[in-house]
Amino acid sequence: MNTDDPQLSGLLRQARAVPDLPPRFAQQVWQRIEADEAAAAPTSWLDALASWILRPRFAVAGIALLLLSGILAGTMSGREISRHEAQQNYLASVAPHSAR
Amino acid sequence: MNRSLIILIGALALGGAIFAGSFFAARHATVLCCENPNDDLSWLQNEFHLDAAELARIRTLHEGYLPQCGAICAQIAARKQELAALVGNSTNLTAAAQAKLAEIAALRQQCQSNMLQHFVAVSQAMPPAQGERYLAEMKRLTLESHEQMEQSMSPETSHEHHH
Repeated sequence: MNTDDPQLSGLLRQARAVPDLPPRFAQQVWQRIEADEAAAAPTSWLDALASWILRPRFAVAGIALLLLSGILAGTMSGREISRHEAQQNYLASVAPHSAR
Repeated sequence: MNRSLIILIGALALGGAIFAGSFFAARHATVLCCENPNDDLSWLQNEFHLDAAELARIRTLHEGYLPQCGAICAQIAARKQELAALVGNSTNLTAAAQAKLAEIAALRQQCQSNMLQHFVAVSQAMPPAQGERYLAEMKRLTLESHEQMEQSMSPETSHEHHH
């Protein structure tokens, strides 16, 4: 028997029966997923917090928030430093220490 | 150690590093960007929202004032050197040293008087509200710090002086 016959192989593939899914298959799959998640639910607040932090959506939002707040605070601080230095430059030029 | 605790500590450390990194980078960039050490008047322009014409008027006043101020400062420095030579290793204050002190005081008074006149002239070159604010700010920065020191040392306010 020639098992390498491509024509025969093609016919065999076409003849393979694809069983129908049982009724409410998708719903049952989701129910099983939810049941597994419920079984693996964190037992303490520490576990709950850790699992919350590890969620990609939270992690990305947290990193973005920290970056933005760092940039905002750094810019404000830099402006204040620049302002103070410029003020000291002006003061040093017009008001020598002997006149203060 | 508990896995969740390690995750939390790691997240806190990472968050702190992200915040600190972005804070210091932004601060450094802002200082570099806003700094203008070559222009003494950059603070005036930004702080008192001066336009080009006002800044030009003030620059003329500023450049006229600086040589006067520098000349008096040079005189004060010279008198101070003379005073140091007169005092030397002496254990008492001679009449010559006292006269030198009086000269230095007179020069300082002249310097301060010129400075205040300059502040008034600059304030008049600004829009009225900004000029008023400038004068108050300069008074606070130059005279009031000295007044605070004098007040803190006066017997009426100091609790440590009992006569």
